[in-house]
Amino acid sequence: MLNNTKRVSYCILAFNKRFMSVKRKYPINPDDAKTLPVFEYGVSKDSYRRVFVWGNLQTGALGVPYLKKNRNTLQRECLGAPKRLGFAEKFPVKTAACGFGFTAFAVDTDSGHKLYGTGLNTDSQIGRHEIRSGHPLEIIYFPQPIHLPLKNPKTKIKKISAGRAHLAVLTDEGLFLLGNNSYGQCGRKIIQDENYFMSNYINHVRHIDGQTIKDIECGQDHTLAITENGAVFSCGWGADGQTGLGTFNNVSVFSRVKGDIESEHIIKVASRSDFVLALNNKGEVFGWGNAEYDQIRNQRNEQQICHPTHLKHLGVGKVQDVGAGGSFCVVVNDKGEVFTWGFGILGAGPKVEQSFKPIKLAESLFGRNDFQPDSRVVKVVCGLSYAVAVTSLGDIYAWGRNLRSCLGLGSEKDQYFPFKVSLGGYVERVFCGYDHTVAICKPFI
Amino acid sequence: MLIKDAPVIWDSLRSIICVYKPPNVTCQRVRQTIITAVCTGLNEMECRPPMDYVSIEGNPSTQLTVTVKPNLADHPLVVGPRYQIEDLKCSWSNYLGLHSSGVLLLGLRNGTKAAKLIRENRPTRSYRVSGRFGEATENGFKNEKVVERSTYKHIKHANINKLLAAMQASHQKEMFKSCGVDLQSQTAYEMACEGPIRPADSKLPVIYGIKCVQFEPPDFVIEIQCINEYETYLKSLIHEIGAKLRSTAHCTGIQCIRHSYFTLENALLRKHWTLQHIITNMEECIAIIDEHENLVKQKKAALQ
Repeated sequence: MLNNTKRVSYCILAFNKRFMSVKRKYPINPDDAKTLPVFEYGVSKDSYRRVFVWGNLQTGALGVPYLKKNRNTLQRECLGAPKRLGFAEKFPVKTAACGFGFTAFAVDTDSGHKLYGTGLNTDSQIGRHEIRSGHPLEIIYFPQPIHLPLKNPKTKIKKISAGRAHLAVLTDEGLFLLGNNSYGQCGRKIIQDENYFMSNYINHVRHIDGQTIKDIECGQDHTLAITENGAVFSCGWGADGQTGLGTFNNVSVFSRVKGDIESEHIIKVASRSDFVLALNNKGEVFGWGNAEYDQIRNQRNEQQICHPTHLKHLGVGKVQDVGAGGSFCVVVNDKGEVFTWGFGILGAGPKVEQSFKPIKLAESLFGRNDFQPDSRVVKVVCGLSYAVAVTSLGDIYAWGRNLRSCLGLGSEKDQYFPFKVSLGGYVERVFCGYDHTVAICKPFI
Repeated sequence: MLIKDAPVIWDSLRSIICVYKPPNVTCQRVRQTIITAVCTGLNEMECRPPMDYVSIEGNPSTQLTVTVKPNLADHPLVVGPRYQIEDLKCSWSNYLGLHSSGVLLLGLRNGTKAAKLIRENRPTRSYRVSGRFGEATENGFKNEKVVERSTYKHIKHANINKLLAAMQASHQKEMFKSCGVDLQSQTAYEMACEGPIRPADSKLPVIYGIKCVQFEPPDFVIEIQCINEYETYLKSLIHEIGAKLRSTAHCTGIQCIRHSYFTLENALLRKHWTLQHIITNMEECIAIIDEHENLVKQKKAALQ
């Protein structure tokens, strides 16, 4: 085609030098451009969020539907890189929660279905879904609505959190808990040999101690709730002291956590496994639970700490966000510096495996350099054996054990220092489970 | 210029010069113009006189006379000017495409070695690329036929800034993947702590910094710090920015504003492409090279 429109001619000029000039056979007419139609490409709504998922595919927790045409996708064990979730294109996903092999999504609709769940459903943690009566589905590959007994259809879901096999949903009408209650983590009486697979019991907790619930967090088999006055209540498995109630027994009613945090105003608790970190409004950090990986050292050298303890040894300044994984802790201070301690892949190279003292991870690992001086970490989220940090520019950096590619770096190898995860959007929030991750992002425009 | 002796000047041509390449002129043409300017300048100076022609005449058995006279076979009118265009070696250390303008480094005579070293060291370059939203052209540059028009009213400065920040972070990650170090090793960790590094591959374009410096819809200007880029890549980058922002865009100008430590201030304008200015510029360039040893010899993979 080029030969038709252009003709290359050699002009022999003075000094016997040859210059090449391009002469168009059909010169460009600038008026032609004005006759072209003007396209208007769509711009996404303000409320629209993109959801990316990656990690273990076989539990169904990623919500990738089972279809004949993508049977190949299902035969794969894991998604090594973030994949955009089709479900989120149809429903306005507000928030999500990742449990151990299942995911729940809260959507903002006026219809009765405000909560969707996908993945393992061994303890009806994502509701009872049966095709024929008496045979509920054990695994769900595409998000299905979970019916919540709400009085007002306009009630909004504020936060959801998921543990090993239970789900906590915080709404304007109070807290709803469903799933496994064998340790009392749903805040109701433990029934011996209860068949959770067949049951569809949703426990409703309207108030705790006369106070409205502000925030919830599910550990592995325990649940923590923060009320509006900053008090922490817990229930569930207490064998490692993770309920922080001063006992190692299972507690089936939400009870006040005392110890060092009794007089503090707690704004956030973080727990993924059996260790808990709490953050108060002054930026101080408290911890309790299974501290056998050197997360806390006390005088009696206890490995299971059932009293909340003020972590005075940190010395990291005013803490902004905390994350507690299975064997390590991550905190961010108000300057955007990230500190880790504990055991495992702490993110400070392959040589560092264990540390009692907080190790500062270099800011250049989180993308701060001469070209990007304003980039700073604002949030950290911990999975069981990995951690993810969100920066102010909407990038996420992941490190840790790469169980079934849950880091989303495109490889199956462990990552010993924070590395950027590539996704198409500005990340607002990340949710980490056992071996899968969900990120809620804003689109570019 | 105090020196009037052409051979002295010829011997002093041993480093690189920094010129400002105008747009719509190829690098080859710039090189040819510089060579011509240098040779013409040298030939106007006091060149070497013709060699002596020694003739021994007479009868060997009687007396021989030795006469010395100028050798006509070596006369400029016979062999041409003393400094020929073919004799001057000249090569560039960064190639700028036809539509690009800006800093161009040229090595003269012995300086071609320095130019080669700088080229192989792959220092960063800064570009100022201007684009225009709303129109897509056939080859991504303004001189081609417009093939598509679209709206651009919805694009705000914040949108473009956020997009560029995301692109920048992704590129910095890619540079790490392509640096040729095992990500699981301690070396990789230490390198990551140091900050940006240069890729091992010389073909893969890597953007370190990208920033929108001017935004007056539909026109915008972005400033890019990069390695291994080429003109078509920068044009396609503008096209990509347009597509990502739900519009279309084409490139209207590319200017290289910095090449390693050489900035626009060091660059010699077209009107100054004479021997005198070239010699002065070369002295400046030698000072810059002496000041920054890493320009020709680099020890670390970290970006400098």
